[in-house]
Amino acid sequence: MGLGFLVPAFLAGLAALAIPLLIHLRDKNEETPTRFPSLMFLVRLPIRTSDRRKVTDWPLLLLRALAVALLVLAFSRPFVGRDANVAADRRVRAVVLLVDRSMSMGYEGTWAKALDSARAVLDGLAADDQVSLVLFDEEAEVAQRWTSDHGAVRAVLDAAKPVSRGTRFGAALRVARGALIGAPPGAPEMVIVTDLQRSGLTGVAGLELPAGLPLRVIGVEPTTRPNTFVRTVEARRVVDGTRVQLQVLARVTTRELKAPRTARLTLNLGGREVGTRTAALPISGDLPVVFDAIPAPVGAVSGLVTIAADELTADDTFHFALPADDALVVQLVAPDDLARDETHFLERALAIGRAPAVRIERRRPGTLDAAALDRSAMVLYWDVAPPSAGTAAAALDAYVTAGRGYVLYIGPRLGARRQSALAGAVAVTGIADRRIGGGAILGDIRDEHPLFAPFRGSQGALIAPRFYRYPRLEPAVGADILARFDDGAPAILERPLGEGRILIVGLGLDTREGDLPLQPAFLPLMRRLVLHTSGHESTPLWRVTGESWMPRAVRRDPVIVAPDGTLQRSTQGEATGIALTLALPGVYSAYEGRVDGTPRARVAVNVSAAESELTPADPRELLLGVGESADSTLQGVTAPTSLEIESRQRGWSLLLLAALLLLAVETILASRGWRGKARRATIVASERSPG
Amino acid sequence: MTAPGHATFLDPALLSRIADLPLLARTVVDGFMHGLHRSARKGLSLDFAEHRQYQPGDDLRRIDWKAYARTDRFYVKEYDADTNAGVLFALDVTGSMDYGSGAVNKFAYARMLVAALAWLTQRQGDRVGIATFADKLVEMVPPSTRHLQMLFHVLGRAKPAGEGKLPLAIDRVADVASRPGIIIVVTDCYDEPNAIGRSVDTLRARGHDVLVFHLLDAAEEDFPFEAAAVFEDGESGLRLPLRPDELKERYQTMWRAHRAALEGRFAASGVDYIPLRTDEPLDRALYAYLDYRLARGRVR
Repeated sequence: MGLGFLVPAFLAGLAALAIPLLIHLRDKNEETPTRFPSLMFLVRLPIRTSDRRKVTDWPLLLLRALAVALLVLAFSRPFVGRDANVAADRRVRAVVLLVDRSMSMGYEGTWAKALDSARAVLDGLAADDQVSLVLFDEEAEVAQRWTSDHGAVRAVLDAAKPVSRGTRFGAALRVARGALIGAPPGAPEMVIVTDLQRSGLTGVAGLELPAGLPLRVIGVEPTTRPNTFVRTVEARRVVDGTRVQLQVLARVTTRELKAPRTARLTLNLGGREVGTRTAALPISGDLPVVFDAIPAPVGAVSGLVTIAADELTADDTFHFALPADDALVVQLVAPDDLARDETHFLERALAIGRAPAVRIERRRPGTLDAAALDRSAMVLYWDVAPPSAGTAAAALDAYVTAGRGYVLYIGPRLGARRQSALAGAVAVTGIADRRIGGGAILGDIRDEHPLFAPFRGSQGALIAPRFYRYPRLEPAVGADILARFDDGAPAILERPLGEGRILIVGLGLDTREGDLPLQPAFLPLMRRLVLHTSGHESTPLWRVTGESWMPRAVRRDPVIVAPDGTLQRSTQGEATGIALTLALPGVYSAYEGRVDGTPRARVAVNVSAAESELTPADPRELLLGVGESADSTLQGVTAPTSLEIESRQRGWSLLLLAALLLLAVETILASRGWRGKARRATIVASERSPG
Repeated sequence: MTAPGHATFLDPALLSRIADLPLLARTVVDGFMHGLHRSARKGLSLDFAEHRQYQPGDDLRRIDWKAYARTDRFYVKEYDADTNAGVLFALDVTGSMDYGSGAVNKFAYARMLVAALAWLTQRQGDRVGIATFADKLVEMVPPSTRHLQMLFHVLGRAKPAGEGKLPLAIDRVADVASRPGIIIVVTDCYDEPNAIGRSVDTLRARGHDVLVFHLLDAAEEDFPFEAAAVFEDGESGLRLPLRPDELKERYQTMWRAHRAALEGRFAASGVDYIPLRTDEPLDRALYAYLDYRLARGRVR
């Protein structure tokens, strides 16, 4: 037999036994003192304070002390039972152990500290306590399901290592919550071992955890956090006289260095070191470092900027992938009777842009062969009809269907005669002559279309040009009108074909038909026309881990080589290629069919710079915005045990009843004046003076 | 000491129900004067006092021609109350005055007393003024024949509160009362008798006649408390846990010694000292005042 307490902490309340004594010794009339005009004489009299501290009413004092003791014992929930039962009453714990393995945990000494902390948590568990291990970074995974085999958990912990990825506590808590749902019966709790990176708090708000779930955060952040890392890299090709040079700028960030220092930065391109710089680093701040310009590579190339290693080595390298300097080749098919300066404005406008540059190859009608098409981004038919039959037409259709496109500009030549089903999208019914009345303007523009992306929010630029003559077009079924003149006549139409598109432009691209070439909108409109029709996509120099990548350049049987050398292929029947989550920092290369030769596409991946900001958050911030849910699934874990505890209590209610009884007796005795030999003088209350 | 015939008109418990001070004062004085007609005291302001030798500038109508016939010298008849005396009431408004174990507290009693005396004084054609004080002067109305209503206003809005320093307050009254006159101090005398006496000496040295009404509550004299309690000082708020049953005798001894010291010190200073309990009618105070005026009413 033994005496146990379900809530032994309440026994500390026995200290409250001092309260009745203090109340007893304290003058009860202190709250309502007896007013007297002046204590001038009384203060001169010797007052024996010990008298005041003498216990004058022992029975009443003992009564009060006993009542307090009974109350404390009742709240401590005592019970008497066999020792075995007492032991069995301890609830089995079900602990979800979350260990942060993000890149920042690789900071010197942090990971070892995290492992020690996690092992200490395991050491603190009883043999039958259940553990589930969750490792998390940007994502979280249950590395060890519920088990009481703590050795197995240790083995998983020993094998774990920090990875080059960011931190997201939200993902970790969600996975842990899921783990708790499948927890064995017991007292659930959650322990997080982390360096509490502030950047990882994003996404925590709105999460719900079971009500009353104990959550302990063990911070293993380093006490001093000096760190240097490459935040971004900018690389661009610049024309230097006749040569094209590559200029690379790296932005280096330092945090909490003990003193300013110098560091060496290295630029690697295509696996070869091509430049170094020594930078004087500030204690905290950003520093741009510009490498000497080098001859720009022609094709796509991947690069790497490295800074001298420090306490956190994972962020000392920065990957980037420079796309090929492939100028977009535009085949300009012009009629034989083209005037000398008719396409002057168009050619000058397209020659200005860079990244990508646009190169025009002029051709006569009927000379466009498959080889020319293959190296071309798009074709521009300048007031000349595209081939409508034969092998040339078939080649053009195949070319468009594969994802490219062409533009048909209908000028005065094509507009002069009625045409039906031109380019399969439009019929020409005549020429509108608006020279009288100041010309036409564009009246209805589909500004959500990518062609007009530069003009969103400033459509005034597009309605400024005047058009004096333009063809009257009748759209065919399937053609989409992107812009109309103010009289409702279609000005620009688009007809999708396979993966590509055909655009019919009825507005004058020459100064003889209007003043569009002289307006500010001309240059961006022409450039967008080329980029949209050719299906060109701008490629970022790098992406961050966790993003998704779909290499559009590889359309058939894509194979992707990850930075760690693993291959990933698309599943059979996946017509749209492959979408890949970029999990590792480094360069991903995409091939078609098999890994051979030059990759068709590549992307560089880095860990988000936020992961290199090591300032820890307050553990309480982790739970800011986290709500409490009354998850019925989880209540199944806790409720029976709680009821069980309730049912096992013996006597607490009797103790409470006895305490109340004693208090009632105390009230009667105290109010009856049983304790007092002293008589109270009858003093009439002081009358306040009127007014 | 009380006059049974008119005591009911001067019962402080009854008078305390009259909120209007002028009405109260008139009630007290009228009631009192009604009693006087049947008493030995006669006349107030037209009583002959003495002859004084004529001086240039004196009113010729006041020359006593009979005396001239007898002595062949010009004499002027002088009466007790034919000069306007300045009477300044110095009222203690410290927190200790806000105490009463009976129907009337000390401050209410003091207010009635000052109002009645002021009314009586005004009826005699004297100038009245008032100074209320705690640790320093609170309000000051200099004596004037037109200041009676102002005196009532000051009395009406006075509220007893805070600590007091009676000697300092009397010194301050001495500073502001420039013309010699009569100063009637109404206080509960909670300070060292010698310190109070020194301040009163200053008043006397400046030519003032001083009358001190010492207001007492029955509980201050009897100290009827028995149960242990915390006592709070009415002025400073000081709290003292006491067992009064053990201290009663010693307290009363000290209290009597204080009274005796005050009496001796005021006598030494030539000051009339009149202790008044708040449970006794006001007529004793009025008698004392009239006696005092009869004795010292002339302006020298």
